[in-house]
Amino acid sequence: MPQARDAHDPLEVASRALGYADALHNLARYLVRSEGEAEELVQETFVRALAAADQLERGANLKGWLFRILRNLFLSRVRHARHDPTEGGLDTTAAPDAPQAGEALRGDVELEAMRRIVGAEIEAALRALGEDARTAVLLDLEGFSEAEMATILGCAPGTVKSRLSRARAALRERLAEYARTERP
Amino acid sequence: MTCEEARPLLLDLQRASLPPELEREVRLHLDTCAACARASAEEAVLTGLLERRLPRYPATGALKRRLAALVSGGAPVVPLAARRRSQRLVAPALVAAALVAITATLVERSSREVGALAALTSEAVNDHLRVLVRDRPVDLESGELHQVKPWFEGKLDFAPSVPSPVAPEMRLEGGAVGYFVDRKAAVLVYRLRRHVVTLLVFRADGLSGADANGVGNARSPLHRTLRGFDVFLWRSGELGYALVADVDPVELSGIAAKLAAETRSPALPGG
Repeated sequence: MPQARDAHDPLEVASRALGYADALHNLARYLVRSEGEAEELVQETFVRALAAADQLERGANLKGWLFRILRNLFLSRVRHARHDPTEGGLDTTAAPDAPQAGEALRGDVELEAMRRIVGAEIEAALRALGEDARTAVLLDLEGFSEAEMATILGCAPGTVKSRLSRARAALRERLAEYARTERP
Repeated sequence: MTCEEARPLLLDLQRASLPPELEREVRLHLDTCAACARASAEEAVLTGLLERRLPRYPATGALKRRLAALVSGGAPVVPLAARRRSQRLVAPALVAAALVAITATLVERSSREVGALAALTSEAVNDHLRVLVRDRPVDLESGELHQVKPWFEGKLDFAPSVPSPVAPEMRLEGGAVGYFVDRKAAVLVYRLRRHVVTLLVFRADGLSGADANGVGNARSPLHRTLRGFDVFLWRSGELGYALVADVDPVELSGIAAKLAAETRSPALPGG
């Protein structure tokens, strides 16, 4: 049967998927607010992936596929939570207004101060972004190409580029603010 | 090329993903446009921060075991949300999950400790790299202990030990105030021949992985290697120490032992 020959062996998919558990959990941890929710999101991603593994075509990007499942699950939960007042905790941070790019840092002293920014401040700045922007930054950090990110996010590659650009501009602005106000 | 054309390409330039001709055009523009050159520098700093300092959250050992069990068709997984939404719990699933949790506890704790140590090691190496790339690695340039130690007064909420150089070709270059994870740190910069040796001194209380069992003590610093750098970590009293350099590890081990010995008397807070 052609489909069987062209598709992945579900067992092979499953074992390879385990290799992406850390990366998936990292994205999940930045999407939701608690460790429990993140683990649950990753688990459910695996459940969905296992159920659909025989549909994954050979040569398909397994990592991207898993990330797409995880993000779609997250979005579906956000939508569900909005309609269910008993649900809470999912991060539905609204996308911030894009800052004016280019004037985030005004001098070498500020660039130097920005280099000293600690992980907690970067994490806070990232978490303050809207989900779209945050996910774009995290996928980019995972090494996905714009085309792969477009597939995961369900948008055009051009949209990915502008979304990532706006997200990075927002991050630069927030981190520059930290650098200006929090350094001795 | 105009600024409007160049700006969207700066990240691609940084990643060397532009076609050669376009890359040449962007570089030519940067040579003549200070604003875009600055924007390019900002992009580079942001990339460095994201890649090196943004905390990563790997899956816990317990989650990996649950996933492995799921993949192999073993223990069933009970989603937390499903438990919240419904009280119709399946007893065998709970028993299986409990068994997995119990057998996983020790390994999970071990994984957590290893992760915390890895984070401390990575932080130390990142701080050392920051010293290496700064135009002025120290805020106070001095090889005199009696100048460097008091310089930190009022800048830190603890009194750091400032060990004297412990090898014939080693000298103190000065100090700076930096950050270690989420707290201020004394950054002491030494030079050993042509190598920079960084000693970070920080409050260890409340820092995951920085207890004496994890990072070693002043009599026996813990040695780790990361990205070509050797890192020695130890705790003495309330303070933690991280020594980083890319010199011969045997030589650095001897230096770490001697520096650690100098820090054995715990510094009192409030300096």
